[in-house]
Amino acid sequence: MTTDQPALERPAAGSRGIPAFVVQVVTGVALLVLLALHMVAQHFIVPTGLRFYDDVIAWLGNPVVVAVEVAFLGTVTYHALLGVRAILFDFGFSERTERRITNVLVVVGIVTVVYGVALLAAIINAAS
Amino acid sequence: MASTTVEPRRPEPGPARRRGFVGWFDPRGRRLGGYAFILNRLSGIGLVVYLYMHLVILSLLVQGPGAWDAFVEIALSPPVLVFDVVLLAGMLFHGLNGIRVGLVGMGLVVSRQRALFIAAFVVAGLVTLVGALRIFGGEG
Repeated sequence: MTTDQPALERPAAGSRGIPAFVVQVVTGVALLVLLALHMVAQHFIVPTGLRFYDDVIAWLGNPVVVAVEVAFLGTVTYHALLGVRAILFDFGFSERTERRITNVLVVVGIVTVVYGVALLAAIINAAS
Repeated sequence: MASTTVEPRRPEPGPARRRGFVGWFDPRGRRLGGYAFILNRLSGIGLVVYLYMHLVILSLLVQGPGAWDAFVEIALSPPVLVFDVVLLAGMLFHGLNGIRVGLVGMGLVVSRQRALFIAAFVVAGLVTLVGALRIFGGEG
């Protein structure tokens, strides 16, 4: 593997060698569904477009809603940070720097998902 | 050692094209595919920034109804709703253009990628317009 390969043709982190481009397409297709579900469930069916506190808490009492949000968070974080990686790799850093960028983004991704899930749990617990 | 990383499916840059982020705004030799590439990246960066902003704002929910409901009142004010329209446009363009990039990347409808880009742009624009009318219509 060399840095001469386009960023999106190199394997994505944790993808077991699947090229980043393929991972972007797969997560992108999943996001078309998950983002649509998120927008409809969280905004479009709400008359004001945004719920007030009591309605948020009541809505999060539905485990299906929570599952969709967690799936959305994980998928969108992976897709977003893989996109950031492709942009950063386009600047022509050394192979060593690119490895560091990948490692940092993996950590950022894990922290993002853990924070989001912890936030959801804290909101649900605070209400119960 | 500097690498020579080049994005796949990126249009051939002119000889004087600058590298990296600054190069995106260099119009020399830029064709339609080049603009699609820039718009895809700019909308993508915008959506990443929004994702983290969204997480920070959602954290207000932990502080209880006082903090969250005060935010909702601000979020429903017209100046902030303009921001929602920009967000909608970004999501639509990035999603629809992403379908095109995915199809072309898999070797499908390569000869129609220009028409698909225009279609993605027009559909995103039209749906944004409808969305904007609904968003502001809801305000009475």
